[in-house]
Amino acid sequence: MSMADDFMKPRRKSGPIKLSTVGAWLVSLIFFLPIAWIIGSALKPKQYVLNFPPKWIFVPTLSNITEAISYGNTAKYFLDSVIYSFTAVALAILISFLAAYSFSRFKPAGTDFLMFLLLSSRFVPAAALVIPFFQLYNLVHLQDSFLGLILFYTMFSIPFSVWILKGFIDGVSTKFDETGFVYGASRLHVMFKLILPQLRPGLVAAFVFNIIFVWNEFLFNFQLGGIHSYGIPVGLFTSITKDGHLDWSFVASIGTIYVLPLAITIFAFQKYLLVGLTFGTVRGEV
Amino acid sequence: MLGLSFNDYKLISSNAPHYVGLSNYQSFLADQQVAHAVNRTFVFLAFAIIFQTTLGILIGVLFWRNDKLRGRRLALTLLFTPMVVTPVASALFWKLILDPNFGVGNYFLQIFGIAKIDVLTSQSLAFPTLLVVDTWMWTPFMALMTLAALGSVPKAELEAASIDRLPLFTVIKTVVWPHAKFILMLGILLRSIDAFKTMDLSLIMTDGGPGDKTELIALSLYRYAFKSFNLGYSSAISVFLLFIAISLTSIYLYVLNLKSRKEA
Repeated sequence: MSMADDFMKPRRKSGPIKLSTVGAWLVSLIFFLPIAWIIGSALKPKQYVLNFPPKWIFVPTLSNITEAISYGNTAKYFLDSVIYSFTAVALAILISFLAAYSFSRFKPAGTDFLMFLLLSSRFVPAAALVIPFFQLYNLVHLQDSFLGLILFYTMFSIPFSVWILKGFIDGVSTKFDETGFVYGASRLHVMFKLILPQLRPGLVAAFVFNIIFVWNEFLFNFQLGGIHSYGIPVGLFTSITKDGHLDWSFVASIGTIYVLPLAITIFAFQKYLLVGLTFGTVRGEV
Repeated sequence: MLGLSFNDYKLISSNAPHYVGLSNYQSFLADQQVAHAVNRTFVFLAFAIIFQTTLGILIGVLFWRNDKLRGRRLALTLLFTPMVVTPVASALFWKLILDPNFGVGNYFLQIFGIAKIDVLTSQSLAFPTLLVVDTWMWTPFMALMTLAALGSVPKAELEAASIDRLPLFTVIKTVVWPHAKFILMLGILLRSIDAFKTMDLSLIMTDGGPGDKTELIALSLYRYAFKSFNLGYSSAISVFLLFIAISLTSIYLYVLNLKSRKEA
């Protein structure tokens, strides 16, 4: 428990620890406790996992986790998730940049309405959309294919990316475009060489959060995918029925493999969290 | 989807889809089970929003007052992790924790002298448990929105208020609230939209049970589509949900517009 150690460390400046400091850390630890328990269960030797009362002191082992990685399709699920999320999000951001630039600079008739449509597609319950997609994919034979899922996830990532990038492009003065044209630059040159480099925070936020959304997406992966194309959330879901019985060490290990990259991402990209979770509609830092 | 909702279309029947007009909608309106699920969803939504907003504001203020906290970034990471964990995973994690035989949750209950219970199959406790887990997942989000909302209050105004030694209540009412309210409202709206869509959580933790105690509308929809393959009927429910989603989105954007108009 390194976070606990960090907290217990004697403070360099002497003086009483403020009550609110303790409170803030306590709240964080309480919220993290369930996840810590899962990680703990994954590190526990198998024979102790079902002990009641729980065994608190044990020699941690990585054997559950290595076993889970080498079991069945785990490694493949993990790899598939990485492939979808990175390919689809990269594609989506390219398309969204083109769209957002057009929305921001040319302001076609009905821009507001189109932006509204984009955002509302993310507010519909996934279960409502999965049926039409299911039928469509049956019709064009895209079920259980990488192409099908990557296309879907690209579409899935576009609304948020357009929203966030448009906000950032609106913030870049059109003087940049005009100056570029005066010096004889082409439209593409202006877009990619003058505007794009100024959107860095927006690009990072769009990239990181779409990766998280795709990484987490379950229902479409489960229904449109198949044994060849399941990702890590489906892996988690099916882990309850491994070999026809419930192996909690296994579930906890897969959960740990799944959750650690997320926690690290949150730590590294914390200042983009707000913009990410409000679909780019609220900006600011925490 | 809109087209399908006017058809009698069951994947398990050999009849081709055919036009039945509004009958899917009629049976939808007459369906007691669906009506209950919708009611339950709104109850769920109301409680979830109240708990999460209250707790979120308290936690947000706690961290706002502590901007020099040692290891603040790590503390916030720990706090925010639950909300980026996909509901499928959270549901599984809680299933392990709440297991009636060996779950650590029951261990703590026993310490306090309460007998082991299986909260997920209990008639009276399953729904509150679902709420607790949802609150665990999404309170950090409201805390994040609170932090953002408080961050949007100009520092100069706060300093002026403290120089004037205004009472706390006046500061909140006249300085903090006018700036912070928009982002808070957006947070609540986003949360309502999301709470309305809750499905994975009850699918894995309770599968809608015991009985139909935790059957939320998004879960019913999923069941009609993929368990009984009644695509016409489930499309009718989808259209209904779509309308609710669109109206909530409109409110969201309306508030957002108010905000940007005010900033301009």
